[in-house]
Amino acid sequence: MIAHSPVTPPAPVIELLDLHKVYRVGTELVHALRGMTLTIRENEYVAIMGASGSGKSTLLNILGCLDVPTGGVYRLKGQDVSKLSQSKLARIRGRMIGFVFQSFELLPRTTALKNVELPLSYTRARQRRQRAIEALRRVSLLDRAHHRPNQLSGGQKQRVAIARALAQQPAIILADEPTGNLDSATGEEIMDILDRLHAEGQTIIIVTHETDVARRCRRIVRLRDGQVVSDNGDGARLGAAAPPTHVEQSQQVPAPV
Amino acid sequence: MRALRLVIAVLLYVPDRVTAMLGNVWTALVQIWANKIRSLLTVLGIIIAVTSIITVVSLVEGFGNYVTNFLRGLGTNMMVVFPQVVRGPRGEVLRRAEMTIEDIQSVDRFAAAIRRTSPLIFGSATIEYGRQQVTGVTLRGTNEFFQPIRNFYVDAGRFFGAVDVEAGAPVCVLGREVLRKLECDESIVSDYVHLDNQRFQVVGLLESKGSFMGENQDEMVIIPWTAGLKMYPNYRKYLAFYVESMSEKDIPEAEGQLVRILRARHGLKTGDVNDFGIFKQDQILQEFNKIRLIATSVLAGIVSISLLVGGIGIMNVMLVSVTERTREIGLRKSVGAHRRDILLQFLTEAVVLSTVGGAIGIALGYGLITMAAMHPNMVEAKVPLWSVALALGFSAGVGIFFGIIPAFKAAIIHPIDALRHE
Repeated sequence: MIAHSPVTPPAPVIELLDLHKVYRVGTELVHALRGMTLTIRENEYVAIMGASGSGKSTLLNILGCLDVPTGGVYRLKGQDVSKLSQSKLARIRGRMIGFVFQSFELLPRTTALKNVELPLSYTRARQRRQRAIEALRRVSLLDRAHHRPNQLSGGQKQRVAIARALAQQPAIILADEPTGNLDSATGEEIMDILDRLHAEGQTIIIVTHETDVARRCRRIVRLRDGQVVSDNGDGARLGAAAPPTHVEQSQQVPAPV
Repeated sequence: MRALRLVIAVLLYVPDRVTAMLGNVWTALVQIWANKIRSLLTVLGIIIAVTSIITVVSLVEGFGNYVTNFLRGLGTNMMVVFPQVVRGPRGEVLRRAEMTIEDIQSVDRFAAAIRRTSPLIFGSATIEYGRQQVTGVTLRGTNEFFQPIRNFYVDAGRFFGAVDVEAGAPVCVLGREVLRKLECDESIVSDYVHLDNQRFQVVGLLESKGSFMGENQDEMVIIPWTAGLKMYPNYRKYLAFYVESMSEKDIPEAEGQLVRILRARHGLKTGDVNDFGIFKQDQILQEFNKIRLIATSVLAGIVSISLLVGGIGIMNVMLVSVTERTREIGLRKSVGAHRRDILLQFLTEAVVLSTVGGAIGIALGYGLITMAAMHPNMVEAKVPLWSVALALGFSAGVGIFFGIIPAFKAAIIHPIDALRHE
């Protein structure tokens, strides 16, 4: 991996500028995001926390290009994606974003390998089989490649889901409560994998309300009422996301909540 | 350079789309297999429609070939002329029809397009041979030209000749079925039988020709028409006759000539209706075409109703499937599926479903036809390839037509709503 000096911070992957999102629920307007500004740089490991209603789901949807903001700018790898069509968004989701869901969302009756290949089939990638195998290897699940989801444990299912997110070599992995459906030991196992992926250079954003999970991340962004209320570090200011073994690690571990 | 890159892009694109399509088909098959009973019930309408198409088309085709072969067997330039009573609008007899041997001879002599004629007496007789007796055997009185005109020959012994006809000799030719019913073999040739208590000598046996439209052509006894007149003297004024034209294309000309001659001889004035009828092969064809039309209309009715029912069934089950798999749709969209990918996936599923129904229907149709073919009196019916293609086309079409709405519904689901769906 590339070591970044504090002088030249890594390039931003995500830049949010005064982001707004207003929903209409019946006749009422719900202001889910109220002017959010946030920058996430390459190889950052960010936890987004907040109570329900804080806007973290909305933020996740927008970050994942499942939705577009009603105001402000969202730049993903330098490209403004805040006003793109559904079709263009689908293309970006397929190439740049790897989702990991709380409830795994694997296709039943489909082998682990085929599940991992799924995103590749939509972007017409070459060498799908090899790339899927490589992704499964990275989550140490190659021996379960031809098992179906109902033959896998919860932790194994989530590892398949992570492999699926990795298959496209996405710019960011967006994990929505990745340990929410798992017991704590299995949850640890999943977090170990995410830690390792981060160490290998992957940018990871986790939406969670579990402090144990958040504590593993290099940076914690707290939301309330659609705004950032605390952010323990901007990658730029701190001079980049360092691997967990980095000397600055102690400074970045947040105080227990 | 740009053109080359375009060609390469297309070369890469096409197999990719094929792979994607095959993937969709596989997904569809897995889905159908996972819901076996539901899928089977869904495609029942399609199965019925396709089974009907296959069986009815095959039967109609089979009968069509049969009729054509029969007509060819009759001799292609043959007509039958017969006296026909002229009736008024209330059914009252306006003119008694007559047809004498002189009429026939005039036609034979003066109609240039006619090669030869043969008087014809229709009868029914009881035949006795030794202790065996068969009643209600078809009796035909005719002359020595019967064989070439009807394209129907003896294959044992001989046919009676002009001398026999001239003399009204008591000789006869038997059909194979008569022989079977009399329980005897070819040794009957040159032996004697009784036809309605009159002694006839058997001179020949007709080749076997099978039955047509309920009439067994092999259960027939043929005698010289002059001998027939001795049995049925009343026929002297009511003869029918075969006409053979010079060639197949001379039939209209031959018909015109014989009509002119007979009208003149019968003293019919302009505007009078013919007091005789002419039976041509194209009338058999017309009769058959009426049957074919009825069968086709009934088929069209059954098929359109079952296809409609089947199509609605498919639409219904696809709508259920889309709802059931909303989360799957959400997942697929979140990993990069475009609307058209989802649309194609569900459309493929509908088409595969209906085509599977079509395939089952084709198999059933084949089965029914094969079973029907085992019946001894059944005509030879084969499933024409085009009916298979038609059936598959119909079922795929139904899949597309009724699958498009559910597929569209699936395609426009918003990924966030889909992922939130319980």
